[in-house]
Amino acid sequence: MVENTDVELSEAEAEQYDRQIRLWGLESQKRLRASKVLIIGLSGLGAETAKNIILSGVKSVCLLDNEKLKEIDLYSQFLAPPDKIGENRAEASLQRARALNPMVEVSSETRAVDNLPDEYFTTFDIVCATGLKQEQLERINNVCRDNNKKFLCGDVWGMFGYMFADLVDHEYSEEIVQHKAVKRGPDDNEKNARETVSITVKRRAIYVPLQNALSADWRKPELRSRLRRGDPSYFVLKILLRFRDEQNRNPDPAKRKSDTETLFRMRDELVKELSLPSGFISDELLTDVYGVVAGAAAVVGGVIGQEVVKAVSQREPPHNNMFFFNPVKCVGFVELYGQ
Amino acid sequence: MVARVAGVFDEKLTEAIANSKILVVGAGGIGCEILKNLVLTGFPQIEIIDLDTIDVSNLNRQFLFHKEHVGKSKAQVAKDSALSFNPNVNIVAHHDSVISNDYGVSYFKQFNIVMNALDNRVARNHVNRMCLAANVPLVETGTAGYAGQVELIKKGLTQCYECQPKAPQKTFPGCTIRNTPSEPIHCIVWAKHLFNQLFGEEDPDQDVSPDTADPEAAGEAGASALSSEGTTSGNVDRKSTRQWAAETNYDAEKLFTKLFGDDIRYLLSMENLWKKRRPPTPLTWDNLPGKDDPPTQHSGLPDQRVWSVHECAQVLANSCKALQADLAGRPEGDHLVWDKDEKSAMDFVTACANIRAFIFNIPTKSRFEIKSMAGNIIPAIATANAIVAGLAVLRAQAILRGLTAAATSVYLRPKVNHRGQLFVPEKALTPPNPKCYVCAPKPEVGLACNLKSLTLKDLTTAFKDGLNMQAPDATVEGKGLVVLSSEPGETDHNNDKTLEQIGLNDGCALLVDDFLQNYEVRVRLQQEDDEKSWRLVTDTDAPMPAPKEEEKPANGSNGSNEPKPGPSRTRADSESDMEIIEEDDDETTVKPPKRRRTEMSDEVVELC
Repeated sequence: MVENTDVELSEAEAEQYDRQIRLWGLESQKRLRASKVLIIGLSGLGAETAKNIILSGVKSVCLLDNEKLKEIDLYSQFLAPPDKIGENRAEASLQRARALNPMVEVSSETRAVDNLPDEYFTTFDIVCATGLKQEQLERINNVCRDNNKKFLCGDVWGMFGYMFADLVDHEYSEEIVQHKAVKRGPDDNEKNARETVSITVKRRAIYVPLQNALSADWRKPELRSRLRRGDPSYFVLKILLRFRDEQNRNPDPAKRKSDTETLFRMRDELVKELSLPSGFISDELLTDVYGVVAGAAAVVGGVIGQEVVKAVSQREPPHNNMFFFNPVKCVGFVELYGQ
Repeated sequence: MVARVAGVFDEKLTEAIANSKILVVGAGGIGCEILKNLVLTGFPQIEIIDLDTIDVSNLNRQFLFHKEHVGKSKAQVAKDSALSFNPNVNIVAHHDSVISNDYGVSYFKQFNIVMNALDNRVARNHVNRMCLAANVPLVETGTAGYAGQVELIKKGLTQCYECQPKAPQKTFPGCTIRNTPSEPIHCIVWAKHLFNQLFGEEDPDQDVSPDTADPEAAGEAGASALSSEGTTSGNVDRKSTRQWAAETNYDAEKLFTKLFGDDIRYLLSMENLWKKRRPPTPLTWDNLPGKDDPPTQHSGLPDQRVWSVHECAQVLANSCKALQADLAGRPEGDHLVWDKDEKSAMDFVTACANIRAFIFNIPTKSRFEIKSMAGNIIPAIATANAIVAGLAVLRAQAILRGLTAAATSVYLRPKVNHRGQLFVPEKALTPPNPKCYVCAPKPEVGLACNLKSLTLKDLTTAFKDGLNMQAPDATVEGKGLVVLSSEPGETDHNNDKTLEQIGLNDGCALLVDDFLQNYEVRVRLQQEDDEKSWRLVTDTDAPMPAPKEEEKPANGSNGSNEPKPGPSRTRADSESDMEIIEEDDDETTVKPPKRRRTEMSDEVVELC
């Protein structure tokens, strides 16, 4: 997917990226250096994601956002300085984003996604979207899919967060470590030296688009059986996306009381709709969903950043296809939906 | 200053944050991330300690630092950068070691939570004790590559950092290093010892010449008369190694001939060693493999390519010259300290390790690979640090909310487990080990040693390295007799006396305490004729909470996990696999004061 990776790393790159090259190897670093990334939505999660991707040493990152910086953003958005409230979030984030790693080209785009033609999104190798409505996410996902580009999306509401990935038809290599005994000499009977040998295997993963994942049919027995495992994060996501679609905004800390009531009502509707066990989606999970809590943005932005690295370097198995962070249990897990 | 926007958290947490004071120990990969999260969330009072300065290799993850900050104090730059996110919080930065009298129990008591973002065991042990003594909850963190973990330590409620003995550092028998290497690491350890013999701090345990006391070679010590300069009893006197090298003006050819020719021939004369091993091949300076290779244009980074023996010899000559000049520029009696980031020092070790490897038919390695092994480098990435720091601050928020019992350890796994989990929380807090020699109500531990040969100086080392004390004082239980005093001069005259000569006998108990750590432990002495050094004996009869295999993160063996000199393995140690993995930094962020040992004292060389 990525262009020319023949050019060797410079000494400066080798020095700055030393500790990560020791983990994922030179080849991965070269692939990273050839990839162009689009980040949509410069909330706290967008900033965390941008930081991780810029630090990793990709070719370029474009920050896309048409919203203005608000006070509540400062709770987790560290790329935009506090004195830039009222300015465009992407533009306000540029300077600090560039300072993170001068070897990466960082640019901004202030048009709304709805005003951008499909072709715009296909000029990148991978798109990471946050803060959009389901319909907008699905449109961009499908444009990427039709052009064989990778798509990730995610969000953080309060302490809760998720990520979805559609890497289309993804080939990657995975390193498997094996131990084998080695003999040094013809009559070396000394206790055999053990050597770890890592072999690289090629693998392939097939993904589905977001609309499939979000319209999973819960009447099917294989999904019903998941309910027994007991984590309701998927439904929390459905509720929060529905809230955003209906109210045209996220739950508002200033309206904590009334918004919590709305969320509970929406929860009860969903429980009925999908005949879920009552009490399955606890009140607790729906009460810490205000603003973007820095710790949660760091956690989900860390996961998304790592998935981008895996996707473009085509190394190590990427998550297929949804990740959830449940802050009540402090558990982060991956489940496959829509297949 | 309260959390900036009302309604994000419930009132209880909002207020708890507003009234909190947090200490962050370490401003490296995790420390930067923790500090950012705290500042953004609006924690009003934060102190951060780190003695380290910024290096280029930090910049791929320690995002509060940029190129122009290289060489500056991590704590100070982290503070300045973080304040730009939220100028309303108060941050106090200390460019200092946390192991200092300036940070005593009363210092620790002023914080609601201490958050560890360290990279070495010595400092972790110390902060663990300080938090136990001050009764402050400690959130302990670590990452290694893709893996990481967050753990709460609270006196009386959870196990402490030292409840489970840590796996000891891998050590190599001295005779393997000196006589019969079989793996690349043996040659690397030898090359680092050689560096110290020639340019660094002299250490009798780091001899690099053939060891004729090798039990395998018994009966033929000195049998061969292939003596090179200074080999009278087989053991080259270390002073004369340096002296001899200086007298030859660090002439590369002479050094090479002695180390890779004469010494190898001497080893060959110890025939017993080679009955079942492939014997080494001595080399000659002017006829080295690769010499006649046509000069080729190598593409790529030279660090990534494995050099020929001939190239290694050239690198050896050049690095020797540079190191000699460096040494000559220092005051009389000063020495170099091996540092993996110092070009000539790293070149020297790469060249010598590879030449020796070639001689012993061991695979040679690139400079890049040797640097990992010689410098104990743990790979480190931004994302794992971000995740662990995020989880740590969420856990700190839960503790402030009063949900301490639910703040169980969380493991970040390199890959999802069979249940699809990437972050795996423990079901419950792990209770303290009642036999822990640190956090038990009456800490106690056995010390097995030979009282007839262990000196008071060795005993001090056992307390410092084995029991992680900084300045131990010891008295005989019941008698009040002072055996060891941390006051300089008080007991120094006894340093070379054996424990028996001081009047200590089998079964006698010492009360050993460290004033700074507010820690006292009863040490039972156990006579063991065969013990060549000393060994801690922890009570293994007691049921210990079994470490959970499944949750075990990758075991980082970091720079600082680094081998301590001296002890043979603790028996209970080998059982342990629960280990907080190290933070990303490969350098020791916090060094104990009064410790003269440099980073070089990496590998333990056991006596054969």
